[in-house]
Amino acid sequence: MSATMGVAPARAGRLAVRLGRSVSRRLGGIAAIGVKELRGRMRGRRAFVVLTLYLTLIAGVAWAIQSVSERNLASSFGGSTYASAQIGQAIFGVLLLLEMVIVIILAPSFTASAISLEREKQTIDLLITTPISSLSIVLGKLLSALVYVFLIIVASVPLTALVFVYGGASPEDLVKGYLVLMVTGFGLGSVGVFLSSLARRTQAATVITYALVLLVTFGTGLVWVLWTSLGSQAPVAQSAPQQADGSGAGVVDVNQAVAAPVRPPEALLWLNPFVSIADVFCGTETGFGGTCSIIATVTGRDPNVLVTGGNGTFGGGAVAGPAPMPIAKGGVVVAPVPNVIGVAPNGQFGVAHDTFWPHAALAWLVVSFLLIAASAQLVSPTRRWRPGRPFRRKPPATDPEVARGPDEAREASS
Amino acid sequence: MSHIVRAMGLTKRYDKTLAVAGLDLDIAEGEIFGLVGPNGAGKTTTLRILATLLVPSAGDAEIVGFSVRRNPDAVRRALGYMPDSFGVYDDMKVWEYLDFFGRCYGLSAARRRRVVADLLELVDLAPRRDAYVQTLSRGMQQRLCLAHALVHDPQVLLLDEPASGLDPRARVELRELLRELRNLGKTILISSHILPELEELCTSIAIIDRGRVLASGRVADMEQRLRVGAVLRVRVLGDGEAQAAARAWFERDPEVAAASVLDDGTVEIGFRGDDAGSARLLAEAVSAGLQVITFARAASDLEELFLQVTAVDEPVPAANGTTA
Repeated sequence: MSATMGVAPARAGRLAVRLGRSVSRRLGGIAAIGVKELRGRMRGRRAFVVLTLYLTLIAGVAWAIQSVSERNLASSFGGSTYASAQIGQAIFGVLLLLEMVIVIILAPSFTASAISLEREKQTIDLLITTPISSLSIVLGKLLSALVYVFLIIVASVPLTALVFVYGGASPEDLVKGYLVLMVTGFGLGSVGVFLSSLARRTQAATVITYALVLLVTFGTGLVWVLWTSLGSQAPVAQSAPQQADGSGAGVVDVNQAVAAPVRPPEALLWLNPFVSIADVFCGTETGFGGTCSIIATVTGRDPNVLVTGGNGTFGGGAVAGPAPMPIAKGGVVVAPVPNVIGVAPNGQFGVAHDTFWPHAALAWLVVSFLLIAASAQLVSPTRRWRPGRPFRRKPPATDPEVARGPDEAREASS
Repeated sequence: MSHIVRAMGLTKRYDKTLAVAGLDLDIAEGEIFGLVGPNGAGKTTTLRILATLLVPSAGDAEIVGFSVRRNPDAVRRALGYMPDSFGVYDDMKVWEYLDFFGRCYGLSAARRRRVVADLLELVDLAPRRDAYVQTLSRGMQQRLCLAHALVHDPQVLLLDEPASGLDPRARVELRELLRELRNLGKTILISSHILPELEELCTSIAIIDRGRVLASGRVADMEQRLRVGAVLRVRVLGDGEAQAAARAWFERDPEVAAASVLDDGTVEIGFRGDDAGSARLLAEAVSAGLQVITFARAASDLEELFLQVTAVDEPVPAANGTTA
């Protein structure tokens, strides 16, 4: 009895040791790749020149926004009571957008060549014959690319903190914004790594990656707008029952005005980083800001209904800004959303924010993990999942994995 | 002697073509094994399967007892692989290159430092320690790549055409290096289509063509088995008439398979006998009154062997072409 009792912990201990060893080995592999990549990337002046240029750019933009909005608000209705907060919000919004654009440009560019360049330069064979797992290779490549992107993001934190001088955005908002930036960077980086391990050529990988990025950032917005405008022309009777079924009997207050227009699934925009940014920005707004209405339209959650759940004070209570500020939307087409804004408030102001970006972040994380797993499969020669197997063409000789084979075979048969 | 590398019915099929067709290999510990064959014989494919870079379509191979199919990780730890064409990373110094692979094999920092220094010494790159890898000459890159394959002190080395693209001097240096490695007790599998390169170095060879082993064994045994003696080249004093007479005389000897006069006047003799036999032949030729200027064994015995073996198995088309 005691013997069997003793065996179990021993086995568990051994299992733990083995697990620990495999984890540390994997981490060691990731570190090996990471150190190598970063040594290459950080060597010389390039990395630091880029960083300096970037910081100069966003500092300039922040300064421009600040001086422009100061001038505008000095003479605006409502006086200077809320002006400071509005300047802060304007800076916050624009910087967040700018950083997002930088992430969208940089993250895929660093990763889209990660694996394909190793293939092109014929270095990947040496890597694969080491005991490093293909997952470690993929993660090492991805993380080392992202370290630089994150460095750029983090380097901008002091500048973004300028917002606190003016108020209008809380440190929470800043943290949320940076969270969205990082998750987006991670997601887009995974897209790049995946295509890099799928495509044979870096060029193809880069082009396809950016095409996908465009699709995700602008394409989804466009589809959403088209869907909404086409859908709202359809008879209301068709969509109304669906809504009623979906929301169930428990919800008493189904607002007809909100439920009536055909709303594309929210998930369509989950991967669109600009919508997440809008949601984060919505958190800084008081009352019916422009971005909050976008989020409300996207999620289909009437801000006024949700706000009765007790956190009415969260959004700033009854304080309504003088007017919705003009905010650069960074290319997101703002859907015409008169329905939501037109709803008569149920007596309470306030906005239900933070309804969208956590979903979006989760969606990105799920997509990233799937892409990373697929990339690892594609990199590994021994456990390789081949997408085009059934209708596979003769592999071109450029594919390093099979490069010698067909050549030899062809020569042999000639 | 235990078999450290084994291939059992190794087969690799690409679409319809067979790159490797049921290849068997048995390599004993401490051997320098040459894989010889013409271009496209399946040498590289075989090595890539052994290096776990390709999965065989059928059959299996074992390195130090680990299956390349079931246990590729253990195989990777046991072998060092040097591909025939390889790239180097830009933006990397020579020591960083080796340090990187040391990390890949999970060596500790202290051990990496020692191994990198030792290996740079071994491959004669210590003075270039801080040079960028892409600035090295082809021969130096080749040696660096060989050093990378030794970082984890593997038992088995797979070297795919290690001497291709090297100038004669670099080739000699490489050969010296391989000798040194042999003395360190490594089992080395080398592929090449240049026979003389392997001849001096290898203990055993396998001649492969069209993905199959045509002949294999210890170099000396194979010569015996295939009953290929030497090729003798004899020059005699005199004009064409004297050469023809010499050829006729040599052909009468029971140990001479064939004799012919080459364009430059050399009489070439296919000889079945051993060294004693050729000494006897020379003595008899001289006493028969032939005015022999030079009498030499042709250098590349393996080359002849190779040609003979691959020619024997050559199917109809090529043979038709020569006889028709």
